[in-house]
Amino acid sequence: MCPSISALLPSSAVPSNLKLRLIFLVGICCALVFPASASTPTSGTLSPSNGSSTTWAGSGIGGATTDETTCVDGTDCDVFTITLTGSPSNYQGLVLAINVSHSVTLNDYDFYVHKGDLSGPVVASATAGIPETMESAVIDPTVSGTGVYTVHIVDSTVAPGDPYSGVATITTPPTDSQAHGTAPTYANYQSPPGLGDSSGEPSIGSNFNSGRIMTQALLDTLQVTFNTSTSPATATWLLKDGPNTNIITLDPILFTDSQTGRTVVSQLFGTTSLSAFTDNDGATYTVSQGGGIASGVDHETVGGGPFRLCTTDQLLATPVPCAQLAARGPITQYPHAVYYASQDIGDAEMALSQDGGLTYEAAHPMYTLVECGGLHGHIKVSKSGIVYVPNKSCGSNQGLIVSMDNGLTFAVEPVITSTSGTSDPSVGVGAKGRVYFGYIGGDGHPHISVSDDQGRSWHYDLDVGVPYAIRNAAFPEVVAGDNDRASFFFLGTPSAGDATGADTGTPFDGVWHGYLATTYDGGKNWFTVDATPSDAVQLGVICTQGTTCPSGTRNLLDFNDVTVDQAGRVFAAYTDGCITAACIAKGNNVSGSHTRADNDQATKATIIRQSTGKGLFKSQDSTRLQP
Amino acid sequence: MGTAPPWATKKMSQKKINRAALLAFLALSLTVSAAGKQPAPQILGLRLGMAYERAHARLNEIGQFKSEDEGQQVWTLRNDKHYQYLIIGFDRERTVRYVTVIARPDGHPVSYADVGNLADATRTGGAGNLRYTWKANDKKGGFDYLAIAKGKDQRYLNRYAVKRLGVANDEDDARD
Repeated sequence: MCPSISALLPSSAVPSNLKLRLIFLVGICCALVFPASASTPTSGTLSPSNGSSTTWAGSGIGGATTDETTCVDGTDCDVFTITLTGSPSNYQGLVLAINVSHSVTLNDYDFYVHKGDLSGPVVASATAGIPETMESAVIDPTVSGTGVYTVHIVDSTVAPGDPYSGVATITTPPTDSQAHGTAPTYANYQSPPGLGDSSGEPSIGSNFNSGRIMTQALLDTLQVTFNTSTSPATATWLLKDGPNTNIITLDPILFTDSQTGRTVVSQLFGTTSLSAFTDNDGATYTVSQGGGIASGVDHETVGGGPFRLCTTDQLLATPVPCAQLAARGPITQYPHAVYYASQDIGDAEMALSQDGGLTYEAAHPMYTLVECGGLHGHIKVSKSGIVYVPNKSCGSNQGLIVSMDNGLTFAVEPVITSTSGTSDPSVGVGAKGRVYFGYIGGDGHPHISVSDDQGRSWHYDLDVGVPYAIRNAAFPEVVAGDNDRASFFFLGTPSAGDATGADTGTPFDGVWHGYLATTYDGGKNWFTVDATPSDAVQLGVICTQGTTCPSGTRNLLDFNDVTVDQAGRVFAAYTDGCITAACIAKGNNVSGSHTRADNDQATKATIIRQSTGKGLFKSQDSTRLQP
Repeated sequence: MGTAPPWATKKMSQKKINRAALLAFLALSLTVSAAGKQPAPQILGLRLGMAYERAHARLNEIGQFKSEDEGQQVWTLRNDKHYQYLIIGFDRERTVRYVTVIARPDGHPVSYADVGNLADATRTGGAGNLRYTWKANDKKGGFDYLAIAKGKDQRYLNRYAVKRLGVANDEDDARD
């Protein structure tokens, strides 16, 4: 296995040209030591009859790569082509089942199935991790069609000497489509009196190094520590304002890089942003440049994660683009990228910080209002450094803005399974790059769709509000852990009507709760749980029409947030608009009135903490979560 | 009814060409009227601070409404050789807060210098991400404004905008 380029780059003391030479040499060495691999045979043909089958085998050379976008064919991934004969209608009652198995539990192969060649959409994938020794995927040819499918087998973590075996079979479809296991449970923690009392649109982050939770809404930055020596755990909330947090400005935002432990807090202020970061959960802050030179004036977001850098194999294969990526890599010891984005006059822009959020480059345009609506959701970065920004309206669909080059250029990918909505959508990115896009559709329902090819194609679009007959939802927020695991937090109500409008006619009557939907199988099935079952979040309307909302309809502002800690436990931050005993009682009185006149219009910071059930990291499953 | 003789057609065509050239010149001059000086507080006849109704009258002359998002409208421009789209934002008083035009990919390019005197502009960004910003004062309207030209090319802009300063951002009120 060759080392990742990123491992070779952290020192800013090494001149960049010397770095590139070093990387190039390592790449050549790797190529000499680890020759190209390929599947044997390279293709097979299947007919529309139950039992039609083909097999192939990998080389067993081994390799390690983050996801499909970071591997090099013939080196740490290879290809097997399947041709389905006949027409789609010939496959009624049949599916194409693909299995890739190996022997050693410490190794991990993944595969992605493209329709057509490798540039075609990914119609299925199998990315389970260690200790699984088999990856499986099922494709319905009546939906995806016949002809060529390309199976892209990736060495996620494979030591030499454990070749995989592949088999593709035409068979009858599996009958089981239910989520298995036990649904998670949750507990609510309200901020103490005097803290978090004015907390519209909260952000939340988790520092894996300290185990603490950081949250911010409007004027307060709060550090939350859960004492797990008792069960249920108790929470300690501390005010940890940054130098600028309590200045009355525009949008507040907090971002915690869970791996590095750095938290960036920001307040939008005119054409820039008042920003600072802390490496000790708010004990001390470093004031930064803010949001980048001449960034926008509205709806800011901060995010970050690994830089997108070439592996040594990629450098060998494509040295020029790799050098361009490296030029936008880290320039200090801080290893990750920080991005700032906001909307300006007719467009939305993003600026990269190569020094951990201390300074930013001049912002680059992401899109204009011609392509998408102005306001966008929050930045997420995959482990392989791909940057995502969701948007609720790109033409008739919701959209995903994608950068594969550290925020230099952007593509707008429509979420073709969606309809545009009024709440900002949210993305969670699994460990191997699977994108979960949570959104509120034009029907008002909470949907989530999945992409394995950076938003170019989508599948498994599901309405996760069905178990509770949710007819209106708002504030979708998504976090992912392992590639197959994700949680989707949203506010929902079973009441029909114009629940997110301006409430100018007959007042909307509805009780809103916070719901969490969780998948453990890559988005095929979701457990949906009412996480606030006896304490409404809001009564009456939640206006999502932004600045055009009448007074008293937008106390929750524009969004909530969700995160995961190092144990895989899910935390959601929300603004509670209904906090008094009277309001809560009205919310629990099914036959009573639940209009905005019955609501408290409060803005109280509250956190939902997962109590039991499986978390988002399979590696932590052996340690059961305790309340 | 007979057809016009070839020379007449040619003459009419010449008239049309002259008229089109004049209109193009006027349109360009409306956009870049201050080339060499400070950029004007308007684009294509849409002036910062202009009332909504007047702005719409002008917009209907030059384009077709495409979409709206939170007080910002996208218009597809008709027959403009330089720009394909116009985006306009209004403030709470329903006056023009900003105007942005997006260059037509296959249109006549507009250079940064066409917009204003580059020596008076602040240049930011770099190759592939260039931006010239002018800060100016509209004495007639009594407000400050920015003119911003952005582009990937070193010479020609992709986008040009004028934006009024000192207008309360809508988000301020939204927090109330």
